[in-house]
Parts: sequence; structure tokens; C-alpha cells
Amino acid sequence: MYQLIEIEVTQPLQAIKTEAKHTGIGLKLRCCDRPVGLILREMPPETTLSKEELADIIQAEIGTKIIQEKLRDTLSPALDLDAFPSLTVAICTKDRPENVERCLKSLIPLQIPDNTPRFEILIVDNAPSDDQTQAKVAQFPSVRYTCEPKAGLDFARNHALAVATGEFLAFLDDDVVVDRGWYDGLRTAWAENPDAGGFTGLVMPYELETAAQILFERRGGFGRGYEKIRHGQIAPGNPLYPCGAGIFGAGCNMAFRRALLLEIGGFDDALDTGRPLPGGGDLDIFYRVVRSGTPFIYEPRYLVYHQHRRDLVGLQRQYWSWGLGFMAFVTKSYESDRDNQGKFRGLVWWWFRDQVKQLIKSILGQHSLPPKMILAELWGGIQGLLGEYGRSRRRVAKIRATTPNDSAISEANPALVSSKRHE
Amino acid sequence: MNILPWKIIHLDLATPLPSLQPESDYDGYYLVFWWRNLPLGRYVLPKAQLPLPHTALYSLALQQIAPGIRLRLGDDWETLINDPSGLQHLEKLLTPPDTLPTVSVILCTRDRPEALKTCLRSLQNLSTPPHEIIVVDNAPRTTATQELVAQMPEIKYVCEPKPGLSIARNTGIEHSSGEIIAFTDDDVTVHPDWSLRLAQSFLDPNVFAVTGVVIPSELETEAQVIFEIGQGGLSGEYRPLVFDRDFFETNQAKSVPVWQIGAGANMAFRRNIFDKIGYFDKRLGAGASGCSEDSELWYRILANGLSCHREPTAVVYHCHRQYRENLERQMYQYMRGHISALFLQFLKYKHWGNLRRAIFLSLHYLGLFGGRILRGEELKHQTMIPEFLGYLAGFGVAIKYLLTPSNS
Repeated sequence: MYQLIEIEVTQPLQAIKTEAKHTGIGLKLRCCDRPVGLILREMPPETTLSKEELADIIQAEIGTKIIQEKLRDTLSPALDLDAFPSLTVAICTKDRPENVERCLKSLIPLQIPDNTPRFEILIVDNAPSDDQTQAKVAQFPSVRYTCEPKAGLDFARNHALAVATGEFLAFLDDDVVVDRGWYDGLRTAWAENPDAGGFTGLVMPYELETAAQILFERRGGFGRGYEKIRHGQIAPGNPLYPCGAGIFGAGCNMAFRRALLLEIGGFDDALDTGRPLPGGGDLDIFYRVVRSGTPFIYEPRYLVYHQHRRDLVGLQRQYWSWGLGFMAFVTKSYESDRDNQGKFRGLVWWWFRDQVKQLIKSILGQHSLPPKMILAELWGGIQGLLGEYGRSRRRVAKIRATTPNDSAISEANPALVSSKRHE
Repeated sequence: MNILPWKIIHLDLATPLPSLQPESDYDGYYLVFWWRNLPLGRYVLPKAQLPLPHTALYSLALQQIAPGIRLRLGDDWETLINDPSGLQHLEKLLTPPDTLPTVSVILCTRDRPEALKTCLRSLQNLSTPPHEIIVVDNAPRTTATQELVAQMPEIKYVCEPKPGLSIARNTGIEHSSGEIIAFTDDDVTVHPDWSLRLAQSFLDPNVFAVTGVVIPSELETEAQVIFEIGQGGLSGEYRPLVFDRDFFETNQAKSVPVWQIGAGANMAFRRNIFDKIGYFDKRLGAGASGCSEDSELWYRILANGLSCHREPTAVVYHCHRQYRENLERQMYQYMRGHISALFLQFLKYKHWGNLRRAIFLSLHYLGLFGGRILRGEELKHQTMIPEFLGYLAGFGVAIKYLLTPSNS
């Protein structure tokens, strides 16, 4: 396991010593309290890294970033974060009350720094097997509970969209905890880009305890870097933009202008359904928000820590679901957004070429992942191309027909109940 | 393909930045970021990325300028952490000392008195007047240049009847007496601190060649937009890079990209370098093969184990060719000159990377043609035919070199 250490680079550095159980270190670097980098290094147990060695490593990796952050403090105008509109934070969950509790414990101090809550927290319990989550949430008086009987993450997200009260709607997965700067990060992203419709943030590892977690993070994890990005309608140098929607971020930490989500019809409940199509819903919503014409923002201060899959089987399944979800998104968008069909064809070609390249590298031993992980993603992609989205739509139609509609949603937003909105 | 102008916006980070709105007359904005009189970076912002709130513009600017400031501050941890912003340190670093080496400015021109006049005016406005300014009138057809310079007593006039930019520059060097020789062209205007920053960068005795930033003065016509936005223009890096033996050796196998070092419109040399490695090669440059006489000289400097430096604070503004036919001729000459220079470098040093590039560039054109057919026309495709013809012509010039003995 890796020892995760947070370092504020503007404070005096301390030598680092690994314990007997450690095989490496992960340095979570901050400058002026803003996240600026994650350095992963193998390091034998019970060895020491001196202050000087540490300084060398840090400045080689993120020296430029330190300068950038200091310049930001000197040059950038102050932002009025308190003008941020109302916010609902929705956590969609299914039968993982401990995760919900852990996430809430990180979120509530940001919600109520003094006596008045600054935003609404909404737990969407998705087709629960028992009342454990409800009982857990009852312990937190500032948290609102709601239940979505139709199984599927995007059903739950649409439920949140229907019943949320905030002008902005943020989504968190239950397997994350938020950083102390999470709320300010979102507010900063909004204050810098008041015209934006969607936001994603940095996702760092919650722990690096197991081989699977280290492997996942070494391959890049959910990381989208430490630079703010304002995605517009084109991206110079990326001819397939915005079809490769993975660049926008990850669904475990995203936020939107709620009115915009309603306008574009909410989430596609045939994606992110859990087995057998557990993915693609985030890509689809990012893509549609960008295509609606509004800027999309990535903000590293809007930071969560995600607990990666602990076991290799789970990790392999995750890569499979990435391939599957991605191609389900592609096949859906190919039909629904005909203007970009050429780009999507290019993207499929690019994706398979890239996967094969990675596979060859992996077989030659030059890749952080073993071949079977890459094969899993590749296989997911092939399955996704072979009609998984259509099959999922038929399954979802059945769920919709057999599960009674939640009256709370249909009253709040009849548009979200229509089964035809994605056709 | 409908090509609109681009607006050049100079933004001083010491003053509040504006929010940028799209304008229907422009395809985008060419942003240059400054800290007072120091240029720190640039960004090419297409219209489709607009509007851009001023708050987001700051983030964009910081991303562009941080790498250059980093290089100035160096690798010392304490400096990095304790310097409140990097800018104070930068200003201190760039405060000129009392004594500077003397600079001779050499400007070669041919029958363009209007452009020359603007250029000379900017040279008269330099904050630190150079040791001398020499105009080399190259094979003039009229006396207009001579008459123009005669009105400016502080500017020296030299006539070089044999045509060729390399020949004219060499004549200029012979007539000069400064420790540093700075070259510029008649189609530029210089920043008031231009000669000061060049002189300053030669304070280090190990510096033999320096180049600066070339900012377009306007991007109004199609030809100018194609050259700057489509082809990358002449501006070069805004970071104070050093091109040294390391750079030379790591790139040698695939040919050393000496053209990245800078542009002839803004370059300077320590006088004694010409004694060590020779003068500009007469077979290269405008009036001969077309261009690359500058980069070939840098190649020799690097091949001799010395280094070339970039000093981005030395700024000139270049007026790109306004008409398409002129641009197309220029691109033809660029490629012809480039291929000839690659051959000369190969013949002189037997560095096979030069030959490799000369041959493999054909694949680049194949790719361009292919992309043009598959994905449609883009800015970079606008001059590919004259470029490719120049590429082929370069081989013709190369064969001539092989048949005639060296005369440099």
C-alpha cells in the first residue's frame, strides 16, 4: 500500500518516512491550499526521503504550477463567492449506508459552517433492498431523503432533478468524500464562468491501499489534471471534439445549472442502469450540455476523493464498463446528433486504434496495466457497439412500465416522466 | 474558404483584464500577455471559444506565462517558495546594469523605402540607442533608399551591389564595429527596449547567439492570417530557452529543428562568432536559395558545441505579406531554402538526420493532401501547393550544390 501524504508546499517541508506496510508514497500537493499535483512514487518500506530530496522532486514536477498559483494570488481579481445561487447536492445511492454516512460527514461541515445551511443535501435512495439508508440519513437533520423505486442511476439522477430546489444541482457518488475546498471550488468555477452550464471537478484517490487501487491511479485514475479548463464549442487541436466526452470529467463529481438540465430533458435513463449497462450516463449528459451551446468548466479546486475498486476483479469490471458505457454513448449519440456522425465514426476508429496500441504495449510489458484489463475495456467497447444501448432501452421501458411512477416527480416535473423524450 | 481577419490584443497583466466578446468582423483574437514592458506569453483564441469572461481570461493568461517565469527563476526551492509572485523577481532580474556591450544594428533592404522608413523611425525611438545603425542597400534599382537614409544623419548607409540577403548581411558585418551585431528586416518595427534586451542577454560571456519574439503587427488580410494562424508565423517561444549541445544531440538522428530557435527578423550575434564559424552562407537566403541562412548559422554554432539563446523580451513587430501571391512565393522560397539548408548541413557535417528530414517531409505533404481530401480545407492547406513545389525545387538546388564546389 501507498502512504498518502498531504503537503502544503508553502509551509516548511518535512522528511518522509515509510512504515513497514508501505511500498510507496502518494504526495497530495497543495499550494495556497489549492490542489496542484499528485506524485506517486515507489519507495521501499522503512526508508526516508529527506527534505532536500522532497524539494527536488516537488519542484521538478510542479515548479511551474507553484509559480502559477502565486501569480494567481497577485494578479487575479477577488471573486464574490457569496453571490453563488442556491445549490442542491444530490447523492444517489443503493444499499451502501456506510458510504453515504462517510460522504455526508465530509459534506455537512461545508453545508453548515455556522448555523444556517448554505445548500440543500438530497439523498436519493435507489430501489433500496431495506430501510438502512433511510435510517442512517435520519441521523442527519440537515439532509433530505427521497426514494426512487425504479432501479438505475439515471432514474435516481432524474428524480433528484425533479425534486431539487437549488438553482444549481451537484451530483456526488456515494463512494467519494469531498475536500474541504469542494464548495468554494464549485463557487469559484461559477464566479469565474457565470455563463457556464456544467461543471466537473478533480477526483483524487481516497486511499491507495490495494494493488488494484494503485494500478488504477497509476493509469491516470479519474484525473483530469490540475489546470482549470473552460470547454467551449471547439477545442483547437482536437478534431473529434466534443464527441470524446471523457475529457469533460467524471460523473462522481459534477454539477449543472438545473434549468438547463430540465431544458435538455434530463439524464438518459437507458444509460448508467447498473448491470448490464453500468456507465455512459455522465458522458451523455456532458456531451448534451456542451452541445446545448454553454461553456463547460473543469475546476481542480472542486475536489473529491474517490474510493477506487479495492479488488482486481472489480477493477477489471470497471474498465469493461468504461468501454461498454463509452460505446453505448457513442451509438446513441450517433443516431441522436446526426451533425456529428463523421466525428463519432472518427472517434470509434481512434478508440480502437488506441486500445490496440495500449494492448500491444501491455503485452510488451511497457504499460502500467496487464493485458487482461485492456482486453476487458476493449471487449466492453465491442459489446457497446453491438447494440447494447438498444437492448438497454427495451429493458428500461419494461422497468418503467412495471414500476409505478413516483407521484412526487410527476407533479414536480411532468416532462421527466415522458418515456419519449429521448427519441 | 472564407478567411476573416484576426484581432491582435496586447494585454498588460499589471492592469485589469477585459472580458472578451466575439466580433463579427474577426475570426478570433491573437492575445499577447505582457507584464508592463515584458512580453510573457500569447494565446490564439478562435471565435468559437468566445465569449470569455475576464475572470476566465486570467486563468488562461496564467497558464501561458508561468512556464517562462519558471525558467527565469531557476530550480532553487527557496526562491520558488519565498518569491511572492515571481514578478518582482522577474523585474529585478531584468533591470539593466549600467554597462552593456555595444550593439550594431544591421538592416538589409531592397527597394522598399516606405517600409524602411517606418522601421528606421522605430529604431530611432530605442530606449537605449545602439552604437550604430547600418542600412545595407542590396542591389538597389533606385536611389530611394539612399535618399531616405541621407535624411537621417545618425544612420549609416552602405550599398552592396551584389544581390542576396546573406551577401548583404556579411557586408553589414564588415562595416560594423559593435561587440554585438543585431539583425532586423525592413518589414518590422522594433519595441523600444529591443536593443537593450539583446545587449543585456549578451552579458553572459557564454552567449554567442540570441533571438527574440516576432509579433505580427496586423492580421488583416487572408495572407497574413494564413501565415500566422495556419502556418504558426514567426513568433517563436515566449520562454527564455537555451538551445545547447543537449538539444543538438538529442535531435540529431531526426534532424535538429534549428528553425525553432528564432527568425532572421530578430536575431543577434557576438561579433567573434563569425571568426570562429564563418559568415552567412551566400548560397542560402533571399536572393539565393530562398531562406534558412539564419538557421544554418545557428546549426553551425550548435554543431561547434556552443549554444543559442532565446530572449523573449527582445520584441519586434513584423508585417506579414499582405497579398496571397507574395505569401505563396514566400512559402515556395521557405521550403526551397529549407531543403537546400538541410543538404548543406548534411554535406558539411555528414549528419544524416538532415537527409532523413528532407526525404520524410514528403510524407508530411502526403498527410496534408490526404487530410485536405478527407477532412476538408483548413488554414494550413492554403499554401500547400507552393510549399510542395518549393520542396521539390529544393532538391534541384541541392543537386546544383553537389555539382559545384563550395564557394562560401
